[in-house]
Amino acid sequence: MDTLVLLGSFIVLMIIGMPIAYALGLSALIGALWIDIPLDAVMIQLASGVNKFSLLAIPFFVLAGAIMAEGGMARRLVAFAGVLVGFIRGGLSLVNIMASTFFGAISGSSVADTASIGSVLIPEMEKQGYPRAFATAVTVSGSIQAILIPPSHNAVLYSLAAGGTVSIAALFMAGVLPGLVMGLTLAALCLIIAKKENYPKGEVIPLRQALKICVDAAWGMMTMVIILGGILSGVFTANESASIAVVWAFCVTMFVYRDYKWSDLPKLVHRTVKTVTIVMILIGFAACFGYLMTLMQIPLRVTTFFTSVSDNKYVILMLINVMLLLLGTLMDMAPLILILTPILLPVVKALGVDPVHFGMIMMVNLGIGLITPPVGSVLFVGAAVAKLKMGEVVKAMKPFFIALLIVLMMVTYMPWMSLWLPRILGL
Amino acid sequence: MDKLYLACIWIAGTAIFFMSLIIPFGVFTRYVLGTGSAWPEPIAILLMMLFTFIGTAAAYRAGAHIAVAMLTDRLPESMKRSAEVLVHALMLLICAFVVWYGTRLCMETMNQSISELTWLPVGVTYAAIPIGSAVTLLFVLEHLIFGSQAARPIVRSEDRQDAQPDAVEGVL
Repeated sequence: MDTLVLLGSFIVLMIIGMPIAYALGLSALIGALWIDIPLDAVMIQLASGVNKFSLLAIPFFVLAGAIMAEGGMARRLVAFAGVLVGFIRGGLSLVNIMASTFFGAISGSSVADTASIGSVLIPEMEKQGYPRAFATAVTVSGSIQAILIPPSHNAVLYSLAAGGTVSIAALFMAGVLPGLVMGLTLAALCLIIAKKENYPKGEVIPLRQALKICVDAAWGMMTMVIILGGILSGVFTANESASIAVVWAFCVTMFVYRDYKWSDLPKLVHRTVKTVTIVMILIGFAACFGYLMTLMQIPLRVTTFFTSVSDNKYVILMLINVMLLLLGTLMDMAPLILILTPILLPVVKALGVDPVHFGMIMMVNLGIGLITPPVGSVLFVGAAVAKLKMGEVVKAMKPFFIALLIVLMMVTYMPWMSLWLPRILGL
Repeated sequence: MDKLYLACIWIAGTAIFFMSLIIPFGVFTRYVLGTGSAWPEPIAILLMMLFTFIGTAAAYRAGAHIAVAMLTDRLPESMKRSAEVLVHALMLLICAFVVWYGTRLCMETMNQSISELTWLPVGVTYAAIPIGSAVTLLFVLEHLIFGSQAARPIVRSEDRQDAQPDAVEGVL
């Protein structure tokens, strides 16, 4: 009954269209009144949920990525990928996937990836004879790499939702291999389609020009070197490296690339405030909600439920995959990570699944959810950038969905893919 | 109200600006000056609280919060309207809770101090919670009485003419 009151009220509030953050807060209140907890306790959770040092990394990572995305980084990464794979048949579609891989290394946001790479490459691909829907499908599916490839603020969110027991550095490194495998799988698919449809080859770029492009892109790619190098060597904490990445991104954009005008800065401020605070407030209210869930022993009950269904690790992981995929199509990534991690982590831990590995499973699942109708923020953005109807894009995406599901199965059932790199680094 | 909105944006913007300078400064003092200082952390957290709770009010007015519109979008116009009124009444409720209990929390923690900075009462670091929520409350009332402000040019000032609003709304 407790569970029904808490989760039921949340679902009802969400369905009538209340912002998810506030719906979490209000249902936590209802739950607290129901089991007779002083409301001050809920308030303390809200305050301490945001008043955390480990949380600082999130606004910084989002901000660094946003500055890079706006400051002409996407164009340079596209050019860089063009040097490397542009000359192959179907070159531009490979360039698209690869640019997303690089973009993932400076930002963890698939939406930013789709918006910035899509606006450069979709028109370009169309000009060279690719159907616009295909170009959009490539952009949208490729952008999921950004979630896996470090730095990813979603990995930081997961670490936070796991109660700080999972190291951010381990999660970052765990994402490298699955991210690259995803990129390669999508690229292979693009190659096959390009052969079949006879899409055009690009040109080989002359060496002198290629060098200039590489240097240009290196400025941005340094962000990842700073962040990962700093964290792995222990010179910086995650927070410090994230804040340094912001300063670096700002300096590169303003003094090296100079695409962004000083007079545009107020716009950046407006946008940052809107995009970052909505995640922060979500984290605060999710802390209240999580507190009530723990008091009501919901995670424990869910664990008992799952283990009563089956004691086979692989069956339960499959069940969780299906659940995450379904929920992912309906809701956005950040709230799902914050709500589901405390519920599902005890389940998989009881089965002996490594929390780092489970983090990757969750990222891929929810990532696919971002590009799947009825609610997929990345799909929306992709369709908007390409000025296409969502249905047209979805039709072109069918083979990509299959490829992504294959990657999901690999990530789920091959734990070494996620765990090998963090292990050899001793994380 | 527009002034209040812009004030929120700029307070939050300034907060995150200083946040991203203070932490690197902490690194600088540790490695270059060799004197690790304790103040950057609590100050950055204070700024983060300010950023979160003040900024979220502005984000509310701009309609930036993530909500599930799948079902409500398919309702007939009259029911859509009543669902919206209901949502805002509930928003008032949650904001009022945060204002009231947040104020109480601040009052109670005014005489406790942060361990790293003894002059700074814990209550002050929490002050952004009730203040920000009070502003959100005002914006909710404004929405109820005058309708949504999210499409107004001042709220949308950052969208360039050529950019799609969707593309910039959720950089997440």
